[in-house]
Order: sequence, then structure tokens, then C-alpha cells
Amino acid sequence: MSGAALHATSGAPLLQVEGLTVAFGRGDAAVTAIEDVSFAVGTGEAVGLVGESGSGKSVTSLSILRLLAPSATIRGGRILFAGRDLVTVPRSEMPDLRGRDVAMIFQEPMSSLNPLMTVGDQIGEAIALHEQVSPQAREARVLELLGGVGIPDAAQRRRAYPHQFSGGMRQRVMIAMALACRPRLLIADEPTTALDVTIQAQVLELMRDIRERTGTAILLISHDLGVIAEMCETVVVMYSGRVVETGRVADVFRDALHPYTRGLLASIPRLDGESRRLHQIPGNVPAPGARPRGCAFAPRCPVKVARCEAERPALTPLAPGRGAACFVAGSEAA
Amino acid sequence: MSPSAPFLLRAEGIGKVFGGSRGLPFVAASARVRAVDGVSFAMQPGETLAVVGESGCGKSTLARLLLRLIEPSEGRVHFDGQDLEALSQEALRQFRRHAQMVFQDPFGSLSPRRTVFQTLAEPLQTFGLAQPGKALREQVADLMRQVGLPASVMDRYPRQFSGGQRQRIGIARAIATGPRLIVADEPVSALDVSIQAQIVNLLQDLQERNGFSCLFIAHDLAVVRHIADRVMVMYLGRVVEIGPRRAVYEAPHHPYTQALLSAVPRPDPGAARRRIVLGGDVPSPSRIPPGCAFHTRCPLARDICRQERPALREMPGGQQAACHFAGPNPIPV
Amino acid sequence: MTTVDEPLLASDEPSFGVLRRMFSLERPGTIVAALVVLAFVVVAVLAPTIAPYDPLKQSYLKINTYPSADHWLGTDQFGRDVLSRLLFGARNSLIFGLLAPGIAAIVGTVLGVCAGYFGGVVDRIVSRIIDLLLSFPELLLAIMISAALDGGFWNVLLVLSIAFVPGFARVARATTLAVRQEPYIEASISVGLRTRTVILRHVVPNMASPVVVLATLWVASAIRLEASLSFLGLGTRPPAPSWGNIIRDALGNVFGSPWPIIGAGLAITIVVLSINVLGDALRDALDPDMP
Repeated sequence: MSGAALHATSGAPLLQVEGLTVAFGRGDAAVTAIEDVSFAVGTGEAVGLVGESGSGKSVTSLSILRLLAPSATIRGGRILFAGRDLVTVPRSEMPDLRGRDVAMIFQEPMSSLNPLMTVGDQIGEAIALHEQVSPQAREARVLELLGGVGIPDAAQRRRAYPHQFSGGMRQRVMIAMALACRPRLLIADEPTTALDVTIQAQVLELMRDIRERTGTAILLISHDLGVIAEMCETVVVMYSGRVVETGRVADVFRDALHPYTRGLLASIPRLDGESRRLHQIPGNVPAPGARPRGCAFAPRCPVKVARCEAERPALTPLAPGRGAACFVAGSEAA
Repeated sequence: MSPSAPFLLRAEGIGKVFGGSRGLPFVAASARVRAVDGVSFAMQPGETLAVVGESGCGKSTLARLLLRLIEPSEGRVHFDGQDLEALSQEALRQFRRHAQMVFQDPFGSLSPRRTVFQTLAEPLQTFGLAQPGKALREQVADLMRQVGLPASVMDRYPRQFSGGQRQRIGIARAIATGPRLIVADEPVSALDVSIQAQIVNLLQDLQERNGFSCLFIAHDLAVVRHIADRVMVMYLGRVVEIGPRRAVYEAPHHPYTQALLSAVPRPDPGAARRRIVLGGDVPSPSRIPPGCAFHTRCPLARDICRQERPALREMPGGQQAACHFAGPNPIPV
Repeated sequence: MTTVDEPLLASDEPSFGVLRRMFSLERPGTIVAALVVLAFVVVAVLAPTIAPYDPLKQSYLKINTYPSADHWLGTDQFGRDVLSRLLFGARNSLIFGLLAPGIAAIVGTVLGVCAGYFGGVVDRIVSRIIDLLLSFPELLLAIMISAALDGGFWNVLLVLSIAFVPGFARVARATTLAVRQEPYIEASISVGLRTRTVILRHVVPNMASPVVVLATLWVASAIRLEASLSFLGLGTRPPAPSWGNIIRDALGNVFGSPWPIIGAGLAITIVVLSINVLGDALRDALDPDMP
């Protein structure tokens, strides 16, 4: 079963991750971080990758650009980007791909920006890395990009250093840099988690606007189901290193199939409806080295059956464009 | 302390200015930062008051002022009818028995070299509430059971626990002395969603059973809605709106409250709603704009807002708001 | 009531595996160093029992003799047994090596913790004193003051203890400043602990490891400095034996019998080196992240 089969996107997907498995450490001490992760991002599509800490969502996003720590190894699976398997691309060719075809923005923009370079020079550098343009044309692009991400007075601000910007403005600079070479896929790893809610609203609006303007596909990694609901068409839910559910955002949020997704949606505090007592999922996420043998969610699951503790359920298509890794949900749907 | 005071806690025009030294030989001058500015409110026994606002709004500083962990620059705090400023060193220590705190960081707020037993026994011992010998272990075991932890793990060190479990230990420490007020400074913002719900429910259960008042500090408006009786919204050290939860959430009277509520992403795909996106950044607390501090970002701002600082006024909805143009949902959508 | 039987995290590592980490197999040198230091301590303690002769007993019949079965390291210009003087000299070095850094560590920690915890005026005064003392090289300071005080073991001990204080105070202040910012310190204040309890129970245990490491390294320096000062005639007064004055006494006869110099020199080198190796291992074990 491939991730693409679960999606209703038209045409071949831009990014297709199939059976991706990543482990940290070597030999007996190796710990599997993610296992058999499959999903796809269509051209121009916005896909949300959601999960709590330890779910493996960041490891998944970092593997796509092969930015994993040296102690991590990709043990299996394919990452097809525009038909090319990024797992087998030689390490030397990756820098060329990064930024030009796939760009990434991170949670803390300060650590991703060079503190000793003006933001304008950094964006200019990003352009020069991948394209041969005259300095004048490059400068024009820098100003256009800064204006495009809503930085007022771009001609003046291009000469400022990262520390002279606020958190929200730095994230705008990061987005401008990511867009410098018109990538086809933008991976955003918790882009607004460090920001205040009114600034988050600004950055999310900017990302929506950019998507409309440029048609860039977005893979948005977040722990916040509200952000995913407002930004994405498709959602991939991860738990303890595996994909437990995937489908269109509208379907999953209305009627989740996997008991973890259901529990997660029910435990979100809400601004509307009854201000009732919060639903709680008992227990904790298992540590990556101490995952149970069967379904990783079984110890916390309210509907588990004997089989759940013995066997790992695979991600199975249950409805058009939807899938879940759950024996109980599977038998209900059948 | 007298048991019949009408308010448990009352703050009168409390404020804090950090820095602002002119500089001495070998000592650098520092900028004046007005973190909290003239905050007044009162809390009833048993009530939960939530303080919400974005980073730099002064909510954490306010918490520390109320517990006198830092000295206020102006204003007074009364606890159970007593002026905290008038208390001696030892009387202030006795006050801490009745007013405890829960911290944001479940990893940093527990001493790494002390076992759970040592951490939980400490408040009991320092106030002479500990029973001698083995009975103390039973007291600690009871505290752990109250927060849903098995007593069998009391001799372990904090690093052997997950974030949610550590936050339970932090709560157990806070309720150990049977306080009448608990100040919880962003107690769930470092936790995952599913764990967050556990901790919020635990706090509510304990409050129901023990009857303490809770000052709940948060930046997450959705969490606050599930726990608070009243809500206080802060912006740049000032209270912009305060009132019963229902009034504030259903019909915010200050444009900032309205924008804040509107900015929260909601897990309802496709729900049609017009979002209010405020422009610009929160100004630095070292350069608070004159007049209404919110005027630089407010879509309703006019000349008067730039000149005259609005006072908190009673609103028909039951809350108070500090805005010249306050009214139900003041920003037209 | 919320009842949640959460499985605890599976980390059952021992709480203080410092010793185990220090002597892990990756560093056989640490074990050798530990054995040397142990031998040094045993010799110093047992010197009166194991020394073959009285270290002060002179014999004009056996002046400057070569090593022999009776005198393994030979005798010096007063006919005293060099081996016995070396063994007794170890006592001197041990007492000095433990006391000077010990006193300095206690005084320095008290000053540094007070400066770091209370800040403000206390911090400013302590910091200026530290800066002042640090601007003197300790050997020069020791020479100056012991010359003024007319030398002697206890005077030199006092001087070096004072000279070591700023180093400890500075490290203690810096780590206390860092620990002071930890949320658990604010938590223990808000719980209602007395300031004294907060400092002794929560600040000191968490700032102590760099001070302990520094003390270990200063033990070696103290032994070295005591030997240097005794060599210059400012430390241990003759005829009491010290590794420094053994070398000084033998200097006149270096071509006649080099054995006292070789013996004392090797003793200083090996002991100082071993203590330093142990100190490095301790530092790494206490803080694996430090370079």
C-alpha cells in the first residue's frame, strides 16, 4: 500500500514518502525513531503533519532534506520528490536541491540566521547559491521578497541585522529566504510555535497568501490542530513514530477513525461550545526505546482488543482518501 | 490571619519598574522597563481568576509581585486583610504557607538532586506540619495519591519522570501546606495537548476538594475558558479588560481582547469566520506608547487614544474595559 | 479524583555514578593515577612506621653516601637518610596539599555564593576584592608575604590559602549566578523556605561540582608551590624535611650524589601529575559536556 493511494490529489504527487524508517544510534543500542511512515504531498497542496512530542514528526521532516543528525540513519523506504528518490541522491547533490526545489523554515528563526550578516545579504546569498543573476537583479529580488513577506520599508530594513528584528519579523525574513528560489515545496517545522498568538495569526496569513500567489506546496509540521485545520487540506497524524491516521482535514476533524486522533481532538480546549471538563487521554507517550510490541497506542486506548497488544496494525485505506492504522477502526469500517 | 475578610487577595495599583539606574562608576546604566503598571483587582475565596496576555504583558511579573517574590515599585497587596508590605521577614514566610505557586517549567522547577520525597517533605518540615518519623512518608504518599502518582516512586529523582508527571509533583508540592491561594504560572504551556488536559482537570479536582483560590496565568485563551471563573486580559503591563468568563468570551468589550480571541486558530476546518489580524508588533516595555498603550496596533485608534490613557470602566456586560471606544465586539468584522 | 497509572520512564540509572564514570575502562590512566595518589596518602600517614631512620638524625660518619642496602637513596650532607626524609616530606606535602585548597575552597565558596546569591552591594564588594587579589601572581604573592612574615610552614600555608581564595570565589560566584536563575530556586523560596535553607540545600549542592574539581587541581598546585617555596628557603624550615628543601639541601652536592634530587624531583612530578589526571577525570565525570 502506498501513501499516494490514500490521497485524493489529482496527478502524481510532488512528494511521496513511502515506508520511511529512521533509527538513531548503531547496533544493539539503536532506537527506531520513525517506522514505516508513508504520505504524499500533491503539487500546490498543503499537508499538515501533526503529533505530540516524540511522535517523530520532526524526524520525518528533517529526513526529507537529509538534515538528520549524523547518528541517525535511514533504514528503509523511499522519498520521491518529483520522481527522484532523495534517499539515494548522493550527499554532495543535496545542497543543490535544498533551497532550490525544497526549502525549509524552522521554529526558532534566530538560530537559522547568521547574526553577523544583514538580512538582505543573507537573502541575496540564498539567491546567488542557486541562480546566476546580476547584482542589480539580485538586489531587486531581495527587496521584492522582503516586501512580499510584509516587511515595511524594505530598502531600509534589508541593511538590518537579525537581532534588530522581532520574532515575528525574523520568521518573515526566514520565509523570504525560503522563497528566494521559488521552491516547489516549503517544509515549515512548527513555524509559529515560538510566536505570540496575534503574531502567529500574521505569519499564518502570510503563508496562506504566499501559497495562493505562488502555488508552492506546503508541508506544515505542528502540534497545534487549530493551525493545521486553518492551513491544510490534508492531515497526517503521527503517534510514537508511526502514521496512525491520514485523510482530508475536513473528514478527519469531523469524524476521526483512529482512537488516538479522536482522543486528541476531544482533549483540545475550545473557544466555542460548552466549556465542559476537558477530555483526557490517560497515560504518557511511550519513550522511543520503550515502545510496546503491538500498537503503540494500545496502553492508552479505550477500545483496544487482545490483538492490539500482540500485533502492529498497518496504515490501511478505509475510505476514499482516508486511512488509519487501527484494527478496531478497520473492522468497524468493513 | 482573620478568617472573615471579604476578599482573599486584593491588589491596589500595583506596579513594577525594572532597571532605570543612572549608572555608577563601574556599573552600567540600564533602561527602565515598566513591566506592570497600576494593576488593581480582588479575588474571592475559592475563585479562579485567569490572567491572559502575550509575552511581555507582565503577567508573570504580576504573579511574583502578588506572592512578594519581588518587591513592587508601587501599590499594595492585601492577603486576607493584611498588607503584605507591613509583614516582617518571618510573617512573610508564614504567608507563603497560605499562598503557593506552580511553575511553568516542569523540568527546571524541581531540584535535580532531591528525590520526590525530599521535595514534598520540605514544605511540611519548614512549617512544622511534618509528623515525626515514618508518618512523614505516609503524609508524602498521601500527597502523591492526591495528584495521581503512585507512592512507590517517591524515592526517585525528577529526571526519571515525564513532563506531565513532574508537573504533578510540582502541584503536590504546592498543595502540601494546604494553601488558600495557588498562583499557577503557565502550568500547562510546556506540555503536550493530551497531557495538558490531565493537568487542567487535576487542578480543577483539587480546587473542588480543597477549596483554594487559583490565579491561573496563561497565554492560551482556550485553556483559560475551561478553568476560569473570571478573566483578566493584560497588555504591556496594564489591565485592558477584566470580568466574568462568559462576558469576556462572548462579548469582549476591548478591541485587544476581541483580536486576541479572533487570532486563536480553531480546529474547525471550513468554519466560516472573519479573522481580525492585528498589524505590527507588541512595542517594547521599555518604550510604552503614550495614551492607550494599544493604540499603535488598534484599528479603532483616534487622536484621543494617543493622548489620553483610558481608565477601566464598568461595562453593561458585567466586565470592566479600559478603552475610549469600549463596547461589545468593538472592531466591526 | 484523577487516577492515572502512568508507566514511568524506564530510566533506572544510579543517581550518582561519578566514581563509576571516573574509572570507566576507557581511561586506564585514571586507575594508575588513583593508585599513585593512594600510595602517597598511605606513605604520608604511615611515615613514622615505615621510615627506616629518624629523618632528623645526623651522622657525620655517613655524609653524602651513594644508595646502598642500608640507605636506599643514600644520605645527605648531614648524613641523614634521604629515603626517610622523603617519606616524612610526603606528610608535609599531604597536609599542605589538603589544607591550603581546603581552607581556600571553604572561604572562597562562602564569598562566592554570597556574592552570587545576594548580588547588589555584596557582589560588588566581593568582586572587587577578587579582582584585586587575582591581579597578583600567587607565587610572587606568597614569596612577598612569607618574606615579610619570615616564612615557615604555617605562614606559607596561610598565605597560599589566601592566594587561592579568589579563584574559588570567582568560580563559586559564576556557578551560583547560574543556579540562582534556575526555576527550582524560585520554587524553593516560594514554598516558604528560609534563605539559609535555600542556600545550603538547593544552591550549594548544585554549584559544588566545579568547586570540587578546582579544589582537586589546586591540591596539585599547592604541593608544587610548597615545594618551590621550601626550595627557596621560605617554606618548611630546616631541619624539618620537605620535598623542596631536600632538593635545596642536595644542590650543593649535585655531582657527588644526585639521588636526593632525583628522588624528591620524581616524587613531586609523579604525585602532581597523578592528582591532575584524577582532577581531569573528576571534571569529566561531573560534567560530561565540558570540553
